[in-house]
Amino acid sequence: MASRRTARHDAEHGVRFSRTIFIMLIVVSSALIMFDRPASRSVAFAGFRASFTDIAAPLLELAAQPIRAVKGIGPYFRMQGDLARENAELRQQLIEARYWEDLAYRQRDRIEVYESALNVQTQATQDRIGAWTVADPQGPFVHARLIGRGSNAGIADGYPVINLYGLVGRVYETGERSARVLLLTDLNSNIPVMVDRSNSRAILTGDNSDYPRLQYLGRNPDIQAGDRIVSSGDDGVLPRGLPVGVAVPTREGGWRVELYSDQAPIDFVWVWPYQPAGIPQSETAELAAGENADEEPASETTPQADGGTTEPSQTEGEE
Amino acid sequence: MRKPEERSAPYWSALGCVLSVVAALLFQAAPTRLIEGITIMPTWPLMVIFLWSGLRPYFMPPIAIFAIGITQDLLTGAPMGIWALSYLVSISVFRFRGEDGMPRDLPPIVLRFGATLLLAQAIAFSAGYFALGEMPHLQPLIIETIASILMFPMLAFLAVRRRRGSRSGFIGG
Repeated sequence: MASRRTARHDAEHGVRFSRTIFIMLIVVSSALIMFDRPASRSVAFAGFRASFTDIAAPLLELAAQPIRAVKGIGPYFRMQGDLARENAELRQQLIEARYWEDLAYRQRDRIEVYESALNVQTQATQDRIGAWTVADPQGPFVHARLIGRGSNAGIADGYPVINLYGLVGRVYETGERSARVLLLTDLNSNIPVMVDRSNSRAILTGDNSDYPRLQYLGRNPDIQAGDRIVSSGDDGVLPRGLPVGVAVPTREGGWRVELYSDQAPIDFVWVWPYQPAGIPQSETAELAAGENADEEPASETTPQADGGTTEPSQTEGEE
Repeated sequence: MRKPEERSAPYWSALGCVLSVVAALLFQAAPTRLIEGITIMPTWPLMVIFLWSGLRPYFMPPIAIFAIGITQDLLTGAPMGIWALSYLVSISVFRFRGEDGMPRDLPPIVLRFGATLLLAQAIAFSAGYFALGEMPHLQPLIIETIASILMFPMLAFLAVRRRRGSRSGFIGG
């Protein structure tokens, strides 16, 4: 008995920080910080992170359930007195929404006619993928959220993420069952946008504040306080026209954007599996024929040093 | 003859340690902002590491602290190694040493935790600046620090009370 107690005592007071292991772990931590920078993260690190979040996602989803259950309690009691007024407002909005619904259906029919006439194969109207937020860390380094669906549901890196009100961010680090969403407010977020009224282009850059900056607006930009900012689609990654927010002037003479997506806590989001519309096949053929005609001597089979020949490069066309 | 609870105590303590660490990590990453009014988040993992490294040092060897830090990095989406380095260094500097380990009075515990927290946040800020190449957002760090300092005395009080009541333990000890 005495020996057991002595062993326990030794264990309690004798086991200290092993200096060797401590130094080794400090070195490993420093190396990880050096090699896992967001700007230059390798595929291996990104894969490891995505695999980890895949494993953690079910546990995080479980932990989020009680929070989701109580989130409505506060607003419920607060809004009881406003219900009648809100009901009237909603009825009015519903009437207005019916007009827009009708307009949307008509526009969709027109687009279908144009698409069939031009033989465009676009996936822009593909169904959106709904997902719940399972983790929302409030750290100082990254403004990102983890959602509970991944590549198994058709999500891939770069897809835009929207909520009921507007653009939330873009997907990065996609695992099989989870994906991380880089918010528009993050330091690494740069989105091409435009002023809806004047089509003035800008880049929306996150700086970890709640109001991301509008940069590269030009010398005399046509922008006013309260202008609606939407995605311009110039990068080919985001669709054009996604609502982003409202322009807000700063004291320094610059512009920031008050995000639409911040109107309510971001819980349920849609991932839009957006693929940019390709050039119609007939036009591609015409373009290729035109290029061939212009570069007839060079575009024919090119002799190689080893005596073989190559067809005109396929990758060039893809690029 | 030892009492039955004394024999089983290390296992219950170990279970308590593991559960508290898991809960702290999950709560740190949970979408608590969904609940209106809760926009502040203390550094739960550091509190848990600090308390357990004082109460039961052999539950918190460097490798455990490293693992907790890395897990927090991965859950929160931060570059790997930031919180691991921060926790390792700050706990190694300010952990309770000597035969008695953590004192049984609240003020010195809270003071030492405050110092640990400030050092941890300073290291995390510097490491984050290096990893991101830009200044990390200072506001969440300040909010975390204030929230942790406000919240920690309650946890420490519970730990000290349990410790006074029993010979050597916190949960089940």
